[in-house]
Amino acid sequence: MKPKTVSKGQAAKNSKPRGATRKRALEIPPEEARELHYYLRLTREVDERLVKLHRQGQIGGNHYPAVGQEATTVVPAFFMEDDDFVGPSHRELGVFITKGRGSPRSMPLVQVFAQVFTKSTSQDEGRNGPSHWGWTPERILEHCSNLGTQIPVAAGAALSFKMRGLPLVAFAFIGEGGASKGDFHEACNFVGIHKLPFVIIIQNNFWAESVHISLQTGNDNLSDRAIGYGYEGIRIDGNDVIQCYQTFKYAIDKARTGGGPTMIQCDTYRWYGHSMVDPANYRTGSEVSYWKELDPVARFERWLVDNGVMTQEEIDQRVKEINEQIFAAIDEAKSAPDPEPETFLDKVYAD
Amino acid sequence: MRKITYIDAIIEAQREEMQRDENVFVLGEDVGLYGGVFKATKGLMDEFGFYRCLDTPISESAIVGIATGAALMGMRPIAEIQFADFIGGAHDQICQQAAKIYYRTGGTWPVPITIRCPYGGDVGGGMYHSQSNEAWYCHVAGLKVVVPSTPYDAKGLLKAAIRDNNPVLYFEHKKLYRTIKEPVPDDDFVVPIGKADVKKPGRHLSIFSFGLMFHRSMQAAMKLREEGIDVEVVDLRTLLPLDMETIVESVKKTGKAMVVHEAPKYGGIGGEIASAIVEECWDYLDGPVVRVAAPDTPVPFHPKMEQLYLPSVERIYQEAKQLFEY
Ligand SMILES: Cc1ncc(C[n+]2csc(CCOP(=O)(O)OP(=O)(O)O)c2C)c(N)n1
Ligand SMILES: [Mg+2]
Repeated sequence: MKPKTVSKGQAAKNSKPRGATRKRALEIPPEEARELHYYLRLTREVDERLVKLHRQGQIGGNHYPAVGQEATTVVPAFFMEDDDFVGPSHRELGVFITKGRGSPRSMPLVQVFAQVFTKSTSQDEGRNGPSHWGWTPERILEHCSNLGTQIPVAAGAALSFKMRGLPLVAFAFIGEGGASKGDFHEACNFVGIHKLPFVIIIQNNFWAESVHISLQTGNDNLSDRAIGYGYEGIRIDGNDVIQCYQTFKYAIDKARTGGGPTMIQCDTYRWYGHSMVDPANYRTGSEVSYWKELDPVARFERWLVDNGVMTQEEIDQRVKEINEQIFAAIDEAKSAPDPEPETFLDKVYAD
Repeated sequence: MRKITYIDAIIEAQREEMQRDENVFVLGEDVGLYGGVFKATKGLMDEFGFYRCLDTPISESAIVGIATGAALMGMRPIAEIQFADFIGGAHDQICQQAAKIYYRTGGTWPVPITIRCPYGGDVGGGMYHSQSNEAWYCHVAGLKVVVPSTPYDAKGLLKAAIRDNNPVLYFEHKKLYRTIKEPVPDDDFVVPIGKADVKKPGRHLSIFSFGLMFHRSMQAAMKLREEGIDVEVVDLRTLLPLDMETIVESVKKTGKAMVVHEAPKYGGIGGEIASAIVEECWDYLDGPVVRVAAPDTPVPFHPKMEQLYLPSVERIYQEAKQLFEY
């Protein structure tokens, strides 16, 4: 079923916490809801841990926390197949953690930390920066800092799926700021011509470093652009796991079965600054607290409890276990050797 | 053996590779129905269908980015940039994505794409349809840059580029498309990337060149031969990676080196070659390493201006003679 499109400005309002009294039919089957929760919580806890590690000086380079934006990365990744392609931007930790959902090809948790500690065991062996994750076995392109450049690449993957008649989908992620790049237009235009199996996810957190969306575009309904390209655009509350679930399920099924591309704008918010060096004093405290109330993970946990899918005790126990997992992964990552410096000379060219 | 033109060689290489490997396909502006503005993809859509010779919108960045994404999924795309002058729009895709993917994925994800770039002057194209901008890409690790000068090399190098597991920029000179013919085998062969070719051996002086300037250098060398000056003409064929072995060997033999290209002198590939020669052959040099190149201006349109802009046979002849007499 096609989910209802949220009109301009309505996304945040519609989705204030609804409280225990409001009864809803179970929109997500309990088994899936439990698993989805695991990845949402895992992403949250890993990200918060990365923030701490950076503050402790244990991570070189920078980190771009996505705390507060978990639903818009974890939920689409929840529906991805191993062979689907992803071109991430810089705030898609949840995709790396979730895609494959534990399949043999999925990225082991230790890799999150191997990358930020720039260990020889990370995929790029110290060549690319921390937070520039990539996982080739799951076809997640290692991040390239040039914003927007991943979108045409994802479009090319989508073209190859169509040419080969495969039921696979290519995904591109972009922030509302990066969506101003020309590559966004060139790629989003192209996929419309051939109705490619493509989903573009705009993570609208209203800020691109210090520049507000109102200085990024004259129409903050970015998903309207899809109309110009001849396919469907949907704007949703990206902090509402249920809405994300329904929308991504719909769009991904559609792409997988020949229905063409969808542009999905997810309104969300990053709790921290742009990066670990950004105090984010360009925004007000009340704006931050407003969005913290809309915490996607906490809201979903309320839903789980209210609907009897999980008890609070189960959730607490899970959070505890997740953190044990994280500490074990950190220890394992740290115990690996650093790369030999001269290896940077290798692997410039393929044989 | 039958003789074919440079453009025929390009069409033939693509056709044969598309027949050999179903993962090979072409994309670009006007390449499908129209067969390309230079007809370099003539007949390919008829033979291989709509998607394998795909007309794209006017989106150079997307053309290269899409080629890259398809390559990551196991295809071997050939992206045609209608004129090399328009490649700037694809700069990020070439230099930041394609060139760096293999490296930044720790050697786990190769990018086998070929980017065909019709380039060069003496076609009355003016500053937006005549540039020789190969040096822009010679500065980027992860790319390969090839510059065939003859139909034989055009075919062999294009096949090598398509089979290479790295992004290869294939600069094809527009002036050469239909002005030269030579015997080219109609069966399968490749010209290895990274190998220069001594097209005319000589004893007194080495000229390193490529593209249209290779042919002008040959003409100058023929003129000099009549005067008893024996010039060695080396067709570089690949600019990245440079075949330093052949270059050094040649300079050690002749003791005099000249680089001829039609791009502006400042920052051109000639500077790189000249300094590499100085570094590696200093003890063998009997004169300065000379660069013959275009002035540091855009390519002017007026035919007489363009004639003055491009190194002529006469200018190459004079410069070579002067170097010989040094
Ligand atoms: C082409 C390019 N320009 C500028 C930058 C520097 N930069 C990195 S992230 C960023 C802001 C991105 O904002 P947005 O796309 O909204 O994503 P968000 O950071 O909000 O998740 C900028 C300007 C870059 N990485 N690439
Ligand atoms: Mg943003």
